[in-house]
Amino acid sequence: MTLENSWLFPIIESIHVMGLAAFVGTIVLADLYTLRAIPDVGPLTRWTHGGLAVMLATGAAMFFSDAARYLHNPAFQVKLAILLVALAAHFTLRRRGTRLTAILSLILWSSVVLAARAIADFDV
Amino acid sequence: MFNPILEVARWLQDTPLRLSLSQSTWTVPIIGAIHVLAIAWFGGAVLVREARLRRFRWIGLSMLLFTGLLLFWSQPLRLYYSQFFRAKVLLLVLIGLAGCLPSRFARLGFLVSLVLWAGVILASRGIAYR
Repeated sequence: MTLENSWLFPIIESIHVMGLAAFVGTIVLADLYTLRAIPDVGPLTRWTHGGLAVMLATGAAMFFSDAARYLHNPAFQVKLAILLVALAAHFTLRRRGTRLTAILSLILWSSVVLAARAIADFDV
Repeated sequence: MFNPILEVARWLQDTPLRLSLSQSTWTVPIIGAIHVLAIAWFGGAVLVREARLRRFRWIGLSMLLFTGLLLFWSQPLRLYYSQFFRAKVLLLVLIGLAGCLPSRFARLGFLVSLVLWAGVILASRGIAYR
């Protein structure tokens, strides 16, 4: 099935952005709390993991709609590489909850978002 | 008939800033990237209903409005005529109104605004297409 040129693709993209707000949005809150930049807002892991599930599902759907095109896109290659590092750090290093791991998490996830946004700019 | 919003869009279209924004290869993509980064940084503060995050939320909203204004400035007439952009502005106004509800309706206003924010994201993606 091709998702390109159909109304389905923008809808899946939109759900991906909603997942982004929940996933990275709650990671940022937790990291900023670790850095004591904002007050404690209680448990967030449900939103974080729910958002991650939504992002992986919609991301996979978009990727497999035209896998070769994405694999040839330099911005996608960079995004995928940083994403794997960010995910690995999220489930290991970040558990330590230190200021350093919080800053690392903020930098890694922000880089994933910036590289992801650039996919459209490097599309051929 | 005199249409003030269209006149503003026409005036913005003829400004030197619009010209330099649309002639630069990277300025608009970078502003767009900051716009999305702001969604990632501040989207969580919309989901989490916490009064103490009010200042943090306002910082995010200011960043989104500022980068959004520049993105609008880069192609005012196209956006003026985009049905999705019109829907987005309407939804944002409704979110503002939902925030003005009296405090006993605060929970309802919060749930309604979440649905409206989802609509804003859908409309925003639509703008990229038409």
